[in-house]
Amino acid sequence: MSYAKFLVKRILQGVFVVWGVVTVTFALRAAAPGDPVNLIVDPGASPELREQIRREVGLDQPLYVQYLEYLQGLVVGDLGFSYQSRRDVSIMIAERLPATLELAIAATIVAVVIAIPLGVVSATRRHEPADYGATLFSLVGISTPNFWLGIMLILVLSVQIGLFPVSGRPVSFTDAVVSLVTTGYAHDLVTWLRHIALPAITLGTYFTALITRLTRSGMLDELGKPYVTATEAKGLPGVLIRYKHVLRNTMIPIVTVLGLQLGTLIGGAVITEAVFNWPGLGSRLISAIYAVDWPLIQGIIIVIGVGFVCINILVDSIYAYLNPRVTDE
Amino acid sequence: MSESTEALLRVEGLSTRFFTEQGQVNAVSDLDLRIDRGDVYGIVGESGSGKSVTARSIMDLIESPGEITSGEIWYRNGELAAAVEDDHGHAVDGSFVDLLEIPERVRRSLRGTSFSMIFQDPESSFNPSLTVGEQLAEAVEVQRRASANPRSTRARTRSEEYSLGSFVLSTMLPSKRYVSEESRERAISLLELVGIPDPVERADEYPHEYSGGMLQRAMIAQALAGEPDLLIADEPTTALDVTIQAQILDLLDELKRETGMTILLITHNLGVIARMCDRVGVMYAGEIVERGTLADVFDDHVHPYTHGLLGSIPDVERAGGRLEPIPGNVPSLLDREMGDRCRFADRCPKAMEDCLSHPPEVDAEGSDHHAVRCVLAERSYDESRALPDDYFGEPDRPAEAVDEPQSDDEPLPAERTQPTLEDAGGDGS
Repeated sequence: MSYAKFLVKRILQGVFVVWGVVTVTFALRAAAPGDPVNLIVDPGASPELREQIRREVGLDQPLYVQYLEYLQGLVVGDLGFSYQSRRDVSIMIAERLPATLELAIAATIVAVVIAIPLGVVSATRRHEPADYGATLFSLVGISTPNFWLGIMLILVLSVQIGLFPVSGRPVSFTDAVVSLVTTGYAHDLVTWLRHIALPAITLGTYFTALITRLTRSGMLDELGKPYVTATEAKGLPGVLIRYKHVLRNTMIPIVTVLGLQLGTLIGGAVITEAVFNWPGLGSRLISAIYAVDWPLIQGIIIVIGVGFVCINILVDSIYAYLNPRVTDE
Repeated sequence: MSESTEALLRVEGLSTRFFTEQGQVNAVSDLDLRIDRGDVYGIVGESGSGKSVTARSIMDLIESPGEITSGEIWYRNGELAAAVEDDHGHAVDGSFVDLLEIPERVRRSLRGTSFSMIFQDPESSFNPSLTVGEQLAEAVEVQRRASANPRSTRARTRSEEYSLGSFVLSTMLPSKRYVSEESRERAISLLELVGIPDPVERADEYPHEYSGGMLQRAMIAQALAGEPDLLIADEPTTALDVTIQAQILDLLDELKRETGMTILLITHNLGVIARMCDRVGVMYAGEIVERGTLADVFDDHVHPYTHGLLGSIPDVERAGGRLEPIPGNVPSLLDREMGDRCRFADRCPKAMEDCLSHPPEVDAEGSDHHAVRCVLAERSYDESRALPDDYFGEPDRPAEAVDEPQSDDEPLPAERTQPTLEDAGGDGS
């Protein structure tokens, strides 16, 4: 099977998965107890007003019609209106999505940049102080709860030393880049970096620890394989054996985990967002759930689902590049 | 046969030990070996007899917890001798260099260019995620870079290792890649040399797209890339089908005749030895117990172990008859369990009281090269001095007959699960 064919197949599968997510969330909403109209109007509203709103929102239609209309809207990017704020759900999501993506990607970069070299050092200097240090770090990293780490970082680095701001996101990454390009000053970018540093470290620590462990154990596994001895026997320089051969093969399982983790970061950074008052999708989802704002909940879940699917397709295509046997099977 | 009797490699008193949790394992003990230029030297023995460890000791591929604890490996290379003489005079003797006395870096630089190796299982000996062509081209490139400088050996012994910085640069700039275009082309012609059809297309394929026999051909091509002085073939046919085995042996034979290279062939298969080798060493428990020309070992053998090995080969003419496997198993190589007796005594049908002390190697009848580590070389078997059957504790299992061995793959008794060594990579055996 060619690479293109493989990719097309994965994308079609992804569309199917997204459709499944839409259907399940729609079914959940339909099965949820209570009259949705109650969530929109005041409890004391007249029956006429209720009926009028029911018609306007389309809740008087049979369920399958509502479902088809929802799907129809989805195709053109219309996710409906929020019950609570009466605003367009797609706009409400679009406002928050960049912050979430910034944080998820920053946390992943922190993890990859720290974890992979650490894992490599740990595996190639097994049973040396560097290895013990890395192993200890990953053990501590995996067992430290996010909210505690976040608060401690704020306490020490922000409040006491004053190195980083306490919370918030005064400027978005795109604005910061635009300002750098138009004015030539990096001030906004520095502000953005200083604000995202602590949340990214907080969110990335567990991830860093996990990838360090995976890299170490994967590399040790790989180093024990016969092809490594054969590559040594042909006289290839050690650097090429370690990086071109061994690390590359070690990356195959790591890419999978990276993708899955990035997917969870999109929806699951709720605690970190709360601690740092970071205006992301996670905090909006939580408030939507409190308000039983179904269109918003549904919209956010679908966006997270689409994100997951996209990342998985990306991961699969990287995976196919790294491991030529995938496209063959 | 060899046109000269010039030694290429002289191994003297080599001991390689593994320091495991169970104790010290003497994988190779005080081993001497002389390989002449242009010869095919065969080492034969059961799994765990130390043949692979010997090969890996020569290649400098012994990994922790293993270690070469003593011995000398003299390699004839005038150029190398001249290059290291100034700094490491004690490691040079004429045009010979003691590989165990020169720095690790210099020794590593000999891999691929002076010595190369073919492994037992081709499928696990290639990296599954790089194309075969790329992997061959790497081997060519090693050689190309080594000989790029006219004073190549000297340059090699002093030059810097390929650094991490150069690797990072190479991932970004295609022009800085380690493997050059010329090497890729040479890799294709090597594939052609070993008889792989459509070499241009096959070079871009991955190892899993090759059959076992084709991949073993590719591995031979890879081993030839550096035009080595010595090719070590460690069980080159064990993992292959019988029909493919013959093709691979033919190929090795043909290449040997064309290039005149020297081969150290390691196998447990006496048929392979008989077909390929000029000289043979029979290994048992980390020692060469009998050595000599093919005729010495096959026709005039003295050691009861050699006799036993030959008796374990299925023979068409005796079909229906019974094989005579050697009773018992390979002995433990754990230092504390090895007594100071002949290591074969507990399995030997002709063990005598004299065998309770470790026999020295003595010359035997036959050619000048015939030597054996057995008291029977100097006196004949004397039943009155024989050791009682149960001398070594409970008698080992009797020589039960093996009815129909499936092939000549495993003519020898199975390995005992004990802390002996993993032999020859393990997977395929």
